Amino acid sequence: MSNDFAQFQDAFFEEAAEHLAVVEEGLLQLEQHPDDLDLLNKIFRSAHSIKGASGMFGFNAVAQFTHKMETLLDLLRNGQAAVTSAIADLLLKSTDCLKTLIDAAKSGTPVDNETVQRLTLGLAAASDMNVKAESKVEKGASTSLSDPSPLTPHALRYFHITWTPPEWLFQRGLDPLQVIKELGDLGTLSQVAVDVSRLPDLAEIDPERCYLSWSMRLKTGKDRQVVEAVFDFVREDSALTIEEIRDKESGVRSDGAKASEDRAVTPHASRLTPDGSDSEPKPLGEILVESGVVSRAALDGALAQQKRVGEILIEQHAASPQQVEQALQKQRQQEAASQSKKADTASIRVDTAKIDKLINLVGELVITQSMLSDLGTRFEMSQIHVLLERMAQLERNTREIQERVMSIRMLPIGTAFSRFPRLVRDLSAKAGKKIQLVLSGEETELDKTVIESIADPLTHLVRNSADHGLETPEMRLDDNKPEVGTIRLNAFHEGGNICITVEDDGRGLDREKILAKAAKQGLIAENEKLTDDQIWSMIFKPGFSTADKITDISGRGVGMDVVKRNIENLGGTISIKTEKGRGTRFTLKLPLTLAIIEGMTVRVGRETYIVPLLSILESLQPRSESVKTVIGKGELINVRDTYLPIVRLYEVFSLQPEHTDPTKGILLILETEGERVVVMVDEILGQQQVVIKSMEQNFRKVEGIAGATILGDGTVGFILDVRGLLEIACREAPLVA
Amino acid sequence: MSKTALVVDDSPTMRQMVAFTLTNAGFTVVEAEHGKDAVRKVSDGRKLDVVVTDLNMPEMDGITLIKELRKLAAFKFTPILMLTTESAIEKKQAGKEAGATGWIVKPFNPEVLLKTIAKVMPA
Repeated sequence: MSNDFAQFQDAFFEEAAEHLAVVEEGLLQLEQHPDDLDLLNKIFRSAHSIKGASGMFGFNAVAQFTHKMETLLDLLRNGQAAVTSAIADLLLKSTDCLKTLIDAAKSGTPVDNETVQRLTLGLAAASDMNVKAESKVEKGASTSLSDPSPLTPHALRYFHITWTPPEWLFQRGLDPLQVIKELGDLGTLSQVAVDVSRLPDLAEIDPERCYLSWSMRLKTGKDRQVVEAVFDFVREDSALTIEEIRDKESGVRSDGAKASEDRAVTPHASRLTPDGSDSEPKPLGEILVESGVVSRAALDGALAQQKRVGEILIEQHAASPQQVEQALQKQRQQEAASQSKKADTASIRVDTAKIDKLINLVGELVITQSMLSDLGTRFEMSQIHVLLERMAQLERNTREIQERVMSIRMLPIGTAFSRFPRLVRDLSAKAGKKIQLVLSGEETELDKTVIESIADPLTHLVRNSADHGLETPEMRLDDNKPEVGTIRLNAFHEGGNICITVEDDGRGLDREKILAKAAKQGLIAENEKLTDDQIWSMIFKPGFSTADKITDISGRGVGMDVVKRNIENLGGTISIKTEKGRGTRFTLKLPLTLAIIEGMTVRVGRETYIVPLLSILESLQPRSESVKTVIGKGELINVRDTYLPIVRLYEVFSLQPEHTDPTKGILLILETEGERVVVMVDEILGQQQVVIKSMEQNFRKVEGIAGATILGDGTVGFILDVRGLLEIACREAPLVA
Repeated sequence: MSKTALVVDDSPTMRQMVAFTLTNAGFTVVEAEHGKDAVRKVSDGRKLDVVVTDLNMPEMDGITLIKELRKLAAFKFTPILMLTTESAIEKKQAGKEAGATGWIVKPFNPEVLLKTIAKVMPA
């Protein structure tokens, strides 16, 4: 099969993932609504699309497995089989299996053949299909892959053809002339005669009907099947005879004629396909064989004698066998690495409308640019207003392009939510609880990277709600609550952020239990007074779990501390609202994108730094009495009776500041993960959006710096890493935090 | 003047593959996601030289699309090819009855696609 379509493989994998999600989601809904025909059709179509496209790439395992699923789905939608929970279960498991098969096709991950086999048999049994008919179908499909007109030359044959097409020929867009032309392409036509005897009187003629018949003689080097194939689309409906004439004019056969007829068949393919593979230079040996200089056997012999570079180097004592072996190993590793890298390449599907708009905008940008440069060549001061106008236009263009480009990375969060119906179904079965999942705000868009990174924390929160949050049906009934517990996932925009809430109507967090546990672990003093928020935030401490026993569902592996850390790595926050006996709500607040942040530009000496706006609580200029120095513990400032450590940025980054006295400079109170630090700068310059450039990728990690950006005047500004600064402060003043 | 083809398939991958092959063969390609989309796209009375359509699609399936197109004067004699699988033989019959000119069996390669189109289209 031609590899021309190979470049669409990535697109296929992405599409397949979407279809898989549709199938899975659909099957889950189907359990509730087994009679929903629209739903079944939707599932069927998705499976069908996977089958069709996977076949195009030669992923036969995927195609065959999907075919089995499709057969069963077809029976279901035709009402020949009923949707039972056993069948839904089988199809769900098959979907999982199909996922592994597709992954295998994508990156060569191993497949559990036993599972595939078992499910294939299960599907076949469920659809009770005729195995014989099945194998025939597969055979047919594979033969259709091979080129229907092999170019191996045959001896010339003569065919006598008579053809009476169906009267409605034209109504199907068929043109008899086209068929006759195609026959002509196979060889030489002669004695072409049209039979008009069936033509009615002129008054009765329907010009949209075909009353004609033809007879002709074809001289060709092709097989009978090839000639018959010309009539493929009309054969079943025509009166057609194709007779081979054997004993006539046999003397005419000549090699010259044969060659010219072969050429006559091929031009379609070679002219129409822009096949890049043909343009690749052939190896020398192949050319020599083709031109008849050497035979294939001689070439194979010569190739067998050819030595690998490694062998030659060993013979010449330029390298030891071990060295060559090591080098080979390295080569294999690199190959493997580059392959796995390829499998990881992320791509994104973008609505063509978005791209069209973008191209339009770029066009406008180019126009604005040319207007500006035109203005620049003959600029006079009197035209300053024109210049300002054009500059404003340029700014508009740039901002719009920025917005559009950012929107390309935006995906609806529904893609991250879609895994939860299945998860909750499995969890409720495992924990013996009745749980309904309510999703809302799925269409809320956010950055693809953010979506990918929150999937795991969200999963943990949902598991947590199912396991710890919701009670068993009996307990719920005892508490006068509905038997079925509810987990709600919601997403919405709030300012420049996106909020995601995970909410359950379960038992809520247990204040006393958390306090007891915290005291036991030495996290708090025995009689310490804590606000509710402080108590709830205890569950984010490493190793903290109030569950009496660790269950299979949660409480193992990652804990809430990891969830919190992940969210904060994304520049987000997590907060808890809970009421005993009523439920718990986790609210995740995340930036829309990781690539651009809202920042406050500040000056230290002659350098400009950017502080992430989200982390700034307030800025102040202290009075001298509120600044305290504790010997050996650094500097502290009293802000409304709380002592916070001061970090002098000029000391951290070894700069020459304008002010060394905190009462002259500006202090910024920054917060991250609930902890605070005060940073001293010379001046606040303003607020702006900055595009983050990675330090690690372009230089190396620098403590206290999260990244860099290009400022308006073209210089580089560093973005402060609040977490890093806090660590610096803690080192200097270990007792305060 | 380049020929215009209408490619109808709900699978973006399939649609792109067909469109890519045809574009490289010199066609101007109009893409549609399903039957309804296709009907909407031809409602401006534009002239098309060939239609390639999938059968299983949401909103409006391929068979209905073929029937709808044949009702339009501009598409009375336009070659319409359907993309089908070997296992859906009854679909082929239904397509023929609806007025499909011919069919292309999935999976196919670019060569087969172009050959089949050349077969039904006046050069």
